[in-house]
Amino acid sequence: MNSLKKTKLWKSMFRHDFQDTPRTRLQRVFGNVFLHLHPVKIPVDALKFTYTWGLGGISFVLFFVLIVTGVLLMFYYRPTTGLAFRDMKDLEYAVTLGTFLRNMHRWGAHAMVMTAILHMVRVFLTGAYKPPREFNWVIGVILLTLTFLMSYTGYLLPWDQLALWAVTVGANMAANTPVLGNEGPFSIVTPLNDVKFVMLGGTSVGEAALLRFYVMHCIAIPFIAALFMAVHFWRVRKDVFSRQTGEKVDVWPHLVSRELLATILTLLVLSIWSLAMNAPLEEMANPTVTPNPSKAPWYFVGLQELLVYFDPWIAGVLMPTIIVIGLMAIPYVDVNPKGVGRYAFTERKFAWSIFLFGTALWFALIFIGTYCRGPNWEWYNPGQTWSIRRISKLTLMNIPNFWGLILLGAYFLQGMVISPQWKQRCAVRLGEGPTRLACQGLDFGLGALMGAALMIPLIWTPEFFRTLGQSRNAPLMQSLFALRSHLGAAGELAMVGIVTVTALCFGLGAVGFGRFKDRLWGRLGLVKYAVVIGLLLLMASVPAKILLRLLFGVKYIVSFPTVSFNI
Amino acid sequence: MEPWWQQPVSRRQFILRVGWGLVYGSLLSWAMATLRYMFPNVLYEPSAVFKAGLPGEYEVGTVTTKWVREQRTWIIRNSQGIYALWARCTHLGCTPNWFDTERRFKCPCHGSNFNIDGDVIAGPAPKPLFRAAVSLAEDGQLQIDKAQLENRPGKREGGTFFLPYKSA
Repeated sequence: MNSLKKTKLWKSMFRHDFQDTPRTRLQRVFGNVFLHLHPVKIPVDALKFTYTWGLGGISFVLFFVLIVTGVLLMFYYRPTTGLAFRDMKDLEYAVTLGTFLRNMHRWGAHAMVMTAILHMVRVFLTGAYKPPREFNWVIGVILLTLTFLMSYTGYLLPWDQLALWAVTVGANMAANTPVLGNEGPFSIVTPLNDVKFVMLGGTSVGEAALLRFYVMHCIAIPFIAALFMAVHFWRVRKDVFSRQTGEKVDVWPHLVSRELLATILTLLVLSIWSLAMNAPLEEMANPTVTPNPSKAPWYFVGLQELLVYFDPWIAGVLMPTIIVIGLMAIPYVDVNPKGVGRYAFTERKFAWSIFLFGTALWFALIFIGTYCRGPNWEWYNPGQTWSIRRISKLTLMNIPNFWGLILLGAYFLQGMVISPQWKQRCAVRLGEGPTRLACQGLDFGLGALMGAALMIPLIWTPEFFRTLGQSRNAPLMQSLFALRSHLGAAGELAMVGIVTVTALCFGLGAVGFGRFKDRLWGRLGLVKYAVVIGLLLLMASVPAKILLRLLFGVKYIVSFPTVSFNI
Repeated sequence: MEPWWQQPVSRRQFILRVGWGLVYGSLLSWAMATLRYMFPNVLYEPSAVFKAGLPGEYEVGTVTTKWVREQRTWIIRNSQGIYALWARCTHLGCTPNWFDTERRFKCPCHGSNFNIDGDVIAGPAPKPLFRAAVSLAEDGQLQIDKAQLENRPGKREGGTFFLPYKSA
């Protein structure tokens, strides 16, 4: 061995010896093209498992596993509608190790989506995106989006029912893109030249679409993702790791050994998972019959549930775009310098609350979609027995446009702030007290208007009130209807009372919200405030619309069918 | 400082700008051409026209679902005649199912409900179901053309989208 190490060949490959000296430890890192993405020394606190949970590294390990298993699967898989499903069956029943590799590829993909999401949550909670790491957060969001795209494109390849219908739904979301989709609002294209057409290479999911998704899944997106990963890792090093407390230790062996351990454990867990559970494969794809119910994979089921409440151009195009851009914007609108390198809720209450609320909302939608939806996508409580023949008589109605526009306007005007300069100008003329009162009055009025614009059309549009009051899917309307019929003449009075109380509550809420807005405005300034309040209102509109649908049976707040514009 | 379009340009600067203009111009046109490349000119998709047997085979007041599996179409006969609904949900393109007890079409993907005319009664679908053109072929069979579609009330009940039929 020692004589081998003296040969010219060995020395041409390895530039350093392997003694455990401080010098070799450094050489091992910067003398190796793969390891040199690390720094040579790292603060000991950054190594703590309970700081990073190893999530970024595990995501990368999973990506690597997916490349290896994916390439192996490609040896037996042909992307044509006649052969793809048969090749899947071959992989399952006729190819040695086929099932295991497919399981590993599928479960590895699910795990990677999960670890990438959790990695983002971890980076947020530890403030690791704050200067100078803002741009690396943006790259991270791009990588998360690419992870979703890889899952989505890979989902079609087995060519089973699950695959076909998930992709059909996704492609039709693209067809609802404003302007550039043939079914979207203000469309200027036809089914033969819109974004869905170019995505599928045709008008429906068929041969061309399968080939396109295959190329995207196996080559295009992994290639782009690999490029962004290189930048992501390199910047982690260049921007310096987010936790800088504790003495500095050598990356070899302290960090590298931990990475190796994480890799081994990840592989172990994934192997056991792949041995224990088979990846689902339904019947062969049938472009005319949809399974009932038809559910997307778990990470898209939240989106599927969102599509129940909003028109496709909002839930399928606008919201995902805004979520991605909104996530990217976080480091640029968060001006609070505190809480970097540790989990510090008390120093970042607002940021933590908003972010965790958004994440919880996403997982709540996933929960509803997974456990509360049965045949015909009707509501079933978790554990309740499904019945295809259940008579549900689901009924929904639109709020009249006049009230809908007021409601929507009053809702988004909640974001407006009267700037301190204006307040000062008023105070000079009117005095401090009256100005404050006037501002609060304005807030209160807007809130009360919103409450009134919500309740009045629900109760005093006779058809709306009667139909939904007697339906089975609008519990609050049913109670109101029952109350009014029960009380007889006094019923009308009770309704007026309820509307007044609602308006008062909304008004008072708006006054409280006004105080919060003033503080936020003071901290952020115009542009950042506009971004934050816009995202906040959009996010809050999701549970609001869900409640309107589930409790009141409201379909649209405003509806202009001639231009396919419905909210 | 003069505005940029009034500043003098040296020969060297001029040639440099033209050069860069050509580089970016050719990159842009290459990108546009590649985008066009992604739009196929010939589609290998099944024909949208099919024959659906004799009109007398359909019963008044029923929704015939036997063509869904092959042709994705429901054929419906009422007291006046026959029309065909394309079995594609106007929300996101799944195939709804007909439930005779509730007299509704219900979609399995996001829960849209439609009545026998194709109008939305519940769920997220924004538009009524489309009707396909119906005519009588020379051999007396129904001929359905899914390339011609209509869902606007007033237009869908007449013309090529409804075949008046009374006897038998």
